[in-house]
Amino acid sequence: MSDSTHHSQFAENSQSCAPAVSVSNLHMSYGSFEVLKGIDAEAAEGSVTSIIGASGSGKSTFLRCMNLLEQPKEGRLEIAGETVEFAYSDKGRPVPVCKQVTRNLRTRVSMVFQQFNLWPHFTVLGNVTEVPIHIQGVSRKEAIERAEYYLEKVGMSDKRDQYPAYLSGGQQQRVAIARALATEPDVMLFDEPTSALDPELVGEVLNVIRSLAEDGRTMLLVTHEMRFAREVSNQILFLHQGQIEESGTPEDVFENPSSERCQQFLSSIIH
Amino acid sequence: MGQRTSAAPKKGKKTLHGYQSEGLADWAGPLLQGTLTTLEIALAAYAIGILLGLMGALAKLGKVRVLAVIASAYSTIVRAVPELLLIIILFYAGTQALTALMNALGTDGRTEVSGFVAAIAVLAFVQGAYMTEVFRGAILAIPKGQLEAADAYGMTAFMKFRRITVPAMLPNALSGMSNLWLILIKDTALVSVVGFEELFFTAQQAAASTNKYFTFYAIAGVTYLMLTMASNAVFSKAEKLARHGQARS
Repeated sequence: MSDSTHHSQFAENSQSCAPAVSVSNLHMSYGSFEVLKGIDAEAAEGSVTSIIGASGSGKSTFLRCMNLLEQPKEGRLEIAGETVEFAYSDKGRPVPVCKQVTRNLRTRVSMVFQQFNLWPHFTVLGNVTEVPIHIQGVSRKEAIERAEYYLEKVGMSDKRDQYPAYLSGGQQQRVAIARALATEPDVMLFDEPTSALDPELVGEVLNVIRSLAEDGRTMLLVTHEMRFAREVSNQILFLHQGQIEESGTPEDVFENPSSERCQQFLSSIIH
Repeated sequence: MGQRTSAAPKKGKKTLHGYQSEGLADWAGPLLQGTLTTLEIALAAYAIGILLGLMGALAKLGKVRVLAVIASAYSTIVRAVPELLLIIILFYAGTQALTALMNALGTDGRTEVSGFVAAIAVLAFVQGAYMTEVFRGAILAIPKGQLEAADAYGMTAFMKFRRITVPAMLPNALSGMSNLWLILIKDTALVSVVGFEELFFTAQQAAASTNKYFTFYAIAGVTYLMLTMASNAVFSKAEKLARHGQARS
C-alpha cells in the first residue's frame, strides 16, 4: 500500500519519469535453448539505458525483442504506448503477435544496426525519406525537410545524393541514425552501433549518439564501449546468461558492482 | 493445330517460271514477319516467365511448405527435361487436355489452340522454371540485414518485396536474366516443330522452296545474331542502371 502511494506521488512529481519501456518476465528461446530467462526492466522516458554483458549473454536478443524482431515466448512488453503479452498456444507454440500491432509498434520504435543495413539502391536522402513517405504517409516535401534536418544533425548533409556504398562505415552509420531519427520515434534501439567500425571511425558515431542523449531521447543501447556507456547512460543493465545480474546507475554498476560476475566482466574489459 | 496460313509469297506461284523465280526479294517480307513474330513470342514469354519466376522463388523461399514443394517440383522437372520434348509434350498434351476440358463442359469437337498463344505459354512455362532459380539465388544474395531493416521499420511483406527485395536483388539477377533471354530467343526456333511460323520456320520454308539453303539459313543465323547483339546492348544498359548504387571496384 505504502509502496503504491509512493509510486503515484513519484509520478505526480515528475511526468517525464513514467516508463517509456517496461518489460516483465520476458522469456525467449531459440528452439530448446533458453536465451532470456525472465527479464524485468524499465526505462524512463527520456533516459538512456545501456545493456552490457559478454557475448552470448542475450543482450542483443533482448534488444531485438523490443521491436519484435525476435518474439518472446512469455512475458509482457510495454513500449511506445503499445502493450504486448506473449503467450503459448495450446500446442505449446508462442502465439504470434498481431501483424498490425507489430507494425504500429515498429513505426514508433526505430533501430540502428551493427551492420548499418542501409538500403543500397537508395541514395542517402532516399534511405532517410523511405519510411516517412511509404510507411508513415508523410508528404514527400515534409519528409525531405525532415531528412535534411536530421542529416544536418548527424553531419551528413553534403552526402545526401550519394549512395551508401560510397560512404565510410562511420558515415553509413550516421546516415542510419538519421534514418532512425526521421521516423520521429518514441524509443530508439542501438544494437552495437560501433562494433563494425574501424577504431578511428567510432568517435564520430559516438558523438552523434551522445548529442541525442543530451536531447533527452529515450534510448536503449547495446554496447561494448564501457566508457561511453558510463558517460551517457542513466541506467546500466548487466546481462549474464539471459538474466539481469546487475542493474542501476552507472556509478552503482561500474564502481560498486555487487555481483561477482559483473565484477569479473568489468575487470576483464576495463584495463 | 492453329497454324497460320503459309507465309510463302503468292507471287512466286503465279509466275510462269514457278518457284525458279523466287528469290531473296520475295522472301524478305515473310522473313521480316517471322522475325517480328519471334520477338513477339520471346517478349511475351519472357514477361510471363519473370512473373512465374518471382512467384516460384518466393514460394521456394517462403514458409508455406506446400507451395515450396510445388515450386521445387516445377523448377526441377522443367529444368531436367529437354526443352524440345517439353514443347512437344505441352503443345499436344495441352491441346488434348483443353479439348477434354471443353468437351466435359459441353462443347463438341476439337478445341483449337492458337499457335501463337501456345508458343508463348510453353516457352514462358520453361522460362519460369529457370527464372525461379535465378531469382532465388539473387534474393539469397541480398545481405539479410537489409531485409531485416525493412521489417524493423514496419514494412508490410508486399512493400518490402516491392521497395527493397526486388531492387536489391536485381543487380544479382540481371546477368542470369540476360542469359535466359538469349536462350529464349533461340528457343523460339523450337516452336517451329509444332508448325508455328516464326523466323526459323519461315527460313526453312524459304530455303526449301528456293533451294537456296545456305542463303536463307545464313540469313536466319545473322538475324538471330543481330537480335542477341541488340539485346546485349539493352542488358548492359539495364545492368548499369540497376547497379547505380554499387561502388565501382
